[in-house]
Amino acid sequence: MIFGYLDAGSGSLILQAILGGAAGILVAFKAWKARLMGKRAITEVQPDPDEQPVTTES
Amino acid sequence: MPRPDPGSFRDPASHIVLDDSRVLRLLDDRGLAGWKALSASSLFDRATADGRLIASTLIDEPHGDAAGVLEHPRIPFISYPYEWTFSMLRDAALLQLELLEEALGEGLTIKDATPYNIQFVDGRPRFIDIGSFETYAPGEPWIGYRQFTRQFLFPLMLRSWAGLPFQPWLRGNMDGPTAGEMKHLLSLGKRMKPAAMLHVSLQARMEESMSGAAVRSELKTAGFNADLILTNVRKLERLVTDLEWDGTGQGWVGYEACEHVGRDRESKGEFLSSALATQRPGRVLDLGANDGYFSEIAARTGATVIAVDGDEEVLDALYRKGTTVSLALGDLTNPSPAQGWAGEERPALTTRADPDLVIAFGLIHHLIYTASIPPASVVRWLASFHCPVVVEFVSPEDEMVARLTANKTEAELHPGRTRREFEELIGLDFSTLAVRELGGGVRALYSLAPLSG
Repeated sequence: MIFGYLDAGSGSLILQAILGGAAGILVAFKAWKARLMGKRAITEVQPDPDEQPVTTES
Repeated sequence: MPRPDPGSFRDPASHIVLDDSRVLRLLDDRGLAGWKALSASSLFDRATADGRLIASTLIDEPHGDAAGVLEHPRIPFISYPYEWTFSMLRDAALLQLELLEEALGEGLTIKDATPYNIQFVDGRPRFIDIGSFETYAPGEPWIGYRQFTRQFLFPLMLRSWAGLPFQPWLRGNMDGPTAGEMKHLLSLGKRMKPAAMLHVSLQARMEESMSGAAVRSELKTAGFNADLILTNVRKLERLVTDLEWDGTGQGWVGYEACEHVGRDRESKGEFLSSALATQRPGRVLDLGANDGYFSEIAARTGATVIAVDGDEEVLDALYRKGTTVSLALGDLTNPSPAQGWAGEERPALTTRADPDLVIAFGLIHHLIYTASIPPASVVRWLASFHCPVVVEFVSPEDEMVARLTANKTEAELHPGRTRREFEELIGLDFSTLAVRELGGGVRALYSLAPLSG
């Protein structure tokens, strides 16, 4: 992956797929869905903060 | 000792240093890889030959820890998009899109999309940031899309669709208006256009809802490819081409048809030619250039000429006519200041102009009578260029001055406006080399040389 020095804007990046025409709309949908699934997966594995072990280390 | 160009620091892969008359680009490993890919392409040969891309030579000269060094020719006059007219920004936008389209066709991309990467040379836009090209990585989106909309597309829409000048916006915020801001600047009718619904409204909505989300890997996995960028770029080319501006019809277009202008033009031209022959300036700054008549006379001597005028319509007409003179749109009572990072990134207009001779025909009475600048301050300002000046003085008895002061009382005007007082003022900073009277003595041309230096 190329890391640009420019902040491309997340919404603008997904929008580009839509602007790419019919084929791009499917790509945008897949990317949006993958992002949603990714967010859900993160939410599901996130442990309950109350159950985290207490530590005195900093 | 080379010094870093204060306007070239954002891309860690490539930046400019200035060494006396030389312009050098220092590349890191990534920048050098981009250069190798570009220089091996047919795009590079083609676009360099036709002047769309700046000439570049890889030189064998160590500079710190740079992996590679390129040398570029010096651009005669650097201008910024907030000093461009509508047609200039539109042509620059089309060049940006055209080069991206050609680059993608050869497995390359342009990693940003800012008008600061484009300069006008001999009246045509030229892409100067060679470091922006790099190999296209499959599955990557066009990183510069949002920047393109904010710095090219939205400013053009502002002028074409909302009738608003884009220059104050670009000068006030060098990143340009956001999609969210554009929504408020376009009328409901314009917002209903398909292009506005996509590039403005939908972008604003998606930017708001997805702020900070990492989406590049998702796009790649979902099958994003260069063809999608090409489709977008081609549609943008059609959109930008269709954006038009016919002017306001309220400015200085047709000024040359005024009786006093036509009557004095030849005399002024002769007087200027004589000063040019004496001074032989390398750089000429024409203040209040209007249709560029005197700028063109100066340009014929081979000098670099910078024509400044505050009227976008006349300057746009001059650009469309194909002038090779450098143009800068600007209000002389509020010229572009030094701005950007550390107040150095974009130097002031007067710093960049750096003239050897200044032309101020048909100008100073507007500064004195319309803008209420004291005559002494006007003369000090002319002296601040530290070079010879060819200036037209217009006395209070002139018919144009009578019109400019029709609604002003004597108490509302600054003192020191007579010809005798003007001559006293110029005597403080200049020696007078030549004088020619026009219009029965109510106007006079002065060729002045600074007393010091």
